Amino acid sequence: MNPTALIADDEEPMRDMLRKRLQDCWPALSIVAEAANGVEAVALAGQLRPDIVFLDIRMPGISGIEAARLLFNRCHIVFVTAYDQYAIEAFEQGALDYLLKPVGGERLTTTVARLKSRVGRQPDDIERQLGRLLAGGAVKPARSYLHWIQAQVGNSLRMISTREILFFRADEKYTRVQTAQGEVLIRKTLKELAEELDPDEFWRIHRSTLVRVDAIAAVTRDLRGRQMVRVRHFAEELEVSRGNTHLFQQM
Amino acid sequence: MRMAASGAGVFGFLRELGETASSLWWQFFDWLAQVPFRQLVVTWVLALLLACTPVLLPKQALAFILISCGLKVLAGGKRKAEIEAREAAAHAGTESMERRLVEAQMAALQAQVEPHFLFNTLALIGQLIETDPPQAARIHEHLIDYLRSTLPQMRSRGGGTLGRQIALSRSYLAIMQARMKARLAVSIDVPPELESATFPPMMLQILIENSIKHGLEPKIEGGRIDIRARATGSTMEVEVRDDGIGFSRYAGDGVGLTNVRERLKLLYGARAELLIETPADGGCRALIRLPFTPDIFAKAGP
Repeated sequence: MNPTALIADDEEPMRDMLRKRLQDCWPALSIVAEAANGVEAVALAGQLRPDIVFLDIRMPGISGIEAARLLFNRCHIVFVTAYDQYAIEAFEQGALDYLLKPVGGERLTTTVARLKSRVGRQPDDIERQLGRLLAGGAVKPARSYLHWIQAQVGNSLRMISTREILFFRADEKYTRVQTAQGEVLIRKTLKELAEELDPDEFWRIHRSTLVRVDAIAAVTRDLRGRQMVRVRHFAEELEVSRGNTHLFQQM
Repeated sequence: MRMAASGAGVFGFLRELGETASSLWWQFFDWLAQVPFRQLVVTWVLALLLACTPVLLPKQALAFILISCGLKVLAGGKRKAEIEAREAAAHAGTESMERRLVEAQMAALQAQVEPHFLFNTLALIGQLIETDPPQAARIHEHLIDYLRSTLPQMRSRGGGTLGRQIALSRSYLAIMQARMKARLAVSIDVPPELESATFPPMMLQILIENSIKHGLEPKIEGGRIDIRARATGSTMEVEVRDDGIGFSRYAGDGVGLTNVRERLKLLYGARAELLIETPADGGCRALIRLPFTPDIFAKAGP
């Protein structure tokens, strides 16, 4: 029985090229299907059970690396990429096979030879290596903070970058978002914001105030001895509550 | 009345004379403070030569030399430092602004040519050379146009126009359409009279690349991108809208958008802004609003 293969790449010209090259290089291989994204690749591979799957790394839906994780132990996987510095480094350390676009030449011949010798055998356990790939930065599952605030402005939903925001201030049921240009009200409470925002980006200086650290121009003491924060591009001063004065101790 | 008027006239004339004399004296003093000693010595020699002719009396020439020498030695250094400090302070403001602007521009341009884009496009050209050489030649040309306007070393100095920026983006979008095929639809709507309008380099391109990279490429069925420019009064708006997956509120602001915002602030202060919106029907809408001076020499649209 002829070996079978599946090609997954979101760019049609790239699929055409790989198919053509494989036909030249390995006429016995039958390409049973082509997939245009990661989801399709996993579905078709489950259905058609090809011996080999060629996976592009960057694909819509799910990436080639995630797709490989879902397919591991079921077929031999070859990654195809034009440029993925982290992935290539990771591949070079291990046995996972990969091809660089444009695919062709001796590199493809080597891969085909390797695949020929492996087809029919149980695929290698690539789980461990995939784990390293995932950890190596090809896919980043790191904790992420809120970087955009959504606010209703007129009829549109405006996205305000946290870098533009000077401070947040609780205003009864709402929260006031102050930028250099103006202010908007959002429904999110200050407590929710404090949990989602990067604590190094915004400091809570008062029960009702979160201030952007970069926007602080000066910290002064008023006549009553309270610490006041002056924010750039803004006239009003913000009070620091007694419990939070430690934030500015070393300044 | 007449007497008073002429009296005031004489008084005004005298005051003016005094002011001119004082300003001339200070100009001379500034010159003296800043002139190098070698040049001053040459002036003395010239004065001495003149003193030998009947034009100038040798006593005056000698007095000039002595006074200027004394002034130069006693007060020249201090005065010179004062003048230099004043000039430096005046320049410092604009200089640091210019430096920050140049730095921001360089960062934008360097961040732009993404290796991923470059390698994928080169791979596409390699493939097309075999299957469709005329198309390969077209994509190749688009890539050259794109690199010419994008690589910092290649970019010519001076401000860009909206027309130039649109042309660059057309090249980029043509390449992306060749790669994404039916998954990418593009429409560009820019009135011809706006093409000559001043528009900072790489801003439109950053918005378009964001739309493709974060909105449309990750969307399985792809989508469309609409670029529109319009002017109302003294404001111009350039809008990039896509119907992609929209962007995550947890995604970082990115080098690109921060850079656009920073440069707009440096170039136009509060008169320009970058707005990002999520339309009700999904996707993303980015809008640059900046001051616009109608070009009276531009041909009006038909």
